Amino acid sequence: MIVEGTVLPIPRANIDTDQIIPAHYLTRIDADGMGEHLFEGMPDGAHLLALHPGAAIIVAGENFGCGSSREHAAWALLGRGFHAVIAPSFARIFHENAYNNGVVPVILPQETVDELMGARTIAIDVDNETLRADGGEPIRFSLDPLRKQFVLGGGVLKYLAAKIPAVRAWEAAR
Amino acid sequence: MKRSLFDKLWDAHVVEELPGGNALVFMDLVVAHEITTPPGAIAIEKDFGDKLYEPERIVAMIDHVAPAKDAATAIQAQTVRVWAKRQGIRFHDIGNNGICHVLVPERGYVTPGMTVCCGDSHTCTLGALGAFALGIGTTAQAGAMLAGCLILQRPKVMRIEITGQLPPDATAKDLTLSVIATIGFRGGTGYVLEYTGSAVRALDMEQRMTLCNMAIEAGATTGIVAADATTAAYLAATPAAPTGWSPMQADDDAEYAATVTIDAGGIRPVVSWGTNPGENSPVDGVVPFDAPAESLAYMDLQPGQALRSIAIDQAFIGSCTNSRIGDLRAAAAVLRGQHVSVPTIITPGSQLVRRQAEREGLHDIFQDAGALWTHSSCGPCLGMSMGVLAAGTRCVSSSNRNFPGRMGDGGRVHLAAPAVVAASAILGRIASPTEITAREVVLA
Repeated sequence: MIVEGTVLPIPRANIDTDQIIPAHYLTRIDADGMGEHLFEGMPDGAHLLALHPGAAIIVAGENFGCGSSREHAAWALLGRGFHAVIAPSFARIFHENAYNNGVVPVILPQETVDELMGARTIAIDVDNETLRADGGEPIRFSLDPLRKQFVLGGGVLKYLAAKIPAVRAWEAAR
Repeated sequence: MKRSLFDKLWDAHVVEELPGGNALVFMDLVVAHEITTPPGAIAIEKDFGDKLYEPERIVAMIDHVAPAKDAATAIQAQTVRVWAKRQGIRFHDIGNNGICHVLVPERGYVTPGMTVCCGDSHTCTLGALGAFALGIGTTAQAGAMLAGCLILQRPKVMRIEITGQLPPDATAKDLTLSVIATIGFRGGTGYVLEYTGSAVRALDMEQRMTLCNMAIEAGATTGIVAADATTAAYLAATPAAPTGWSPMQADDDAEYAATVTIDAGGIRPVVSWGTNPGENSPVDGVVPFDAPAESLAYMDLQPGQALRSIAIDQAFIGSCTNSRIGDLRAAAAVLRGQHVSVPTIITPGSQLVRRQAEREGLHDIFQDAGALWTHSSCGPCLGMSMGVLAAGTRCVSSSNRNFPGRMGDGGRVHLAAPAVVAASAILGRIASPTEITAREVVLA
């Protein structure tokens, strides 16, 4: 699986989920309709999106996705055509939500992220855990080997459903 | 190896080790509210025959927008209502409801040693009962409802030892905000915060909930306090009055990945001035000279500005952080016989809290002071309903997040303890409760 596209750089730490999708949009019973409101809670969000139309990969600072547990943040990114976020670190809940929705969370050192802020396009080879910026040398990164499978296909719920007999056995023996 | 409290909780719930350092961790309780539950419940209905692992391990409620404010939120509530009935899930509808992190402990649904998850980041609140309680996304919650488990990376454990004794005017809110300021807004990422020490032991259960509630604001997976006699007395007084649990403690000399020691005696009433909860300072102080320019630009503040000079447009007392009866009593002690000078909203954390407050006459104190006394809801904390801020306006709030736009697009939030919010509501600017007491002396 290759995720490829132009870059939206947001050189800031602590981009929280209220900035990614404000709570007043969390009123649906499905995952649709979030993309059009992406970054509405970010003071310059609309401006940033307008500067990089059609971007598919976000490069951001530390602690991306902190705050609320809202999976709507991942849905909003997907709904706007973003399939990967590259950052030095992610908040725990967003990190899991990203994997569960096929938004590839790539963790790289701050210096590398800083360099990628200037990239025009990035191609991420999810299977081989490498990326290239503007056709340059491959940069290695690591994904969670289990959660990577949820991105590549199958999904976490299907995986968990297959575990039910083992869970029941564990509980019975508890 | 000597184990921390968290280690013991974790070890007692691991069903299976999974690839990549992950583990399948059993969840004793899943808490389900109307905002994050419906897509997961619908996915299970559609793709897995509507079969839940054990419906009796779920408790559901309407809490965020209660009652519904429009057609969309009515559909959310109705989806949970119908689903809970169909599945035989314990359900707390409006009138008998409360903010999940207030309702679940006060009803006695969580006991020490349990694991709990909810599609809500402030689920860490329940760590106050000696449980491993964590916030997760909609899909992970669906997984816990479907298969009884979460897939988790084992967090490290950071011991937060709080020694000494809190000064009389400092509260658990000031303590938790000070912990975040000490370890940093993302300093707890990858960790569980295990709170220990004499000052933690001295907190009542509600205060422990306030302390644990904001563990997520340091990025931590959760916070946890070992159960003791205080916990036992609290649980015995709940409607469920659960029995059969046994307290779990860390081993003496347990090993921790990190330890931070804080002297409670040095904790002052604080208020946030920035755009994350770690950006806070004593109420009597100033906006720091090294404050990030971006935070100050959003908040429209200057370095060196006295915090008590900042005029406000609204005050809010409520949220899963500070809306329990002790919080309302603290606010009432300041508001008694006073008048608010800005719109002030006081929202109890649950209908049980509301009724208790009314038995004590607190609602009269609030309304005599000119505040709006509401039914339970998450309210304006997350900018969804019941007091959303207009752009450019400023609110002092007993809630937990001061992110840009959190309480309404362009709104500015200052986090503080209920007594500080009450004093600020009276004076129309950020204020210390002692200013109200001093004023009374002068007026007398």
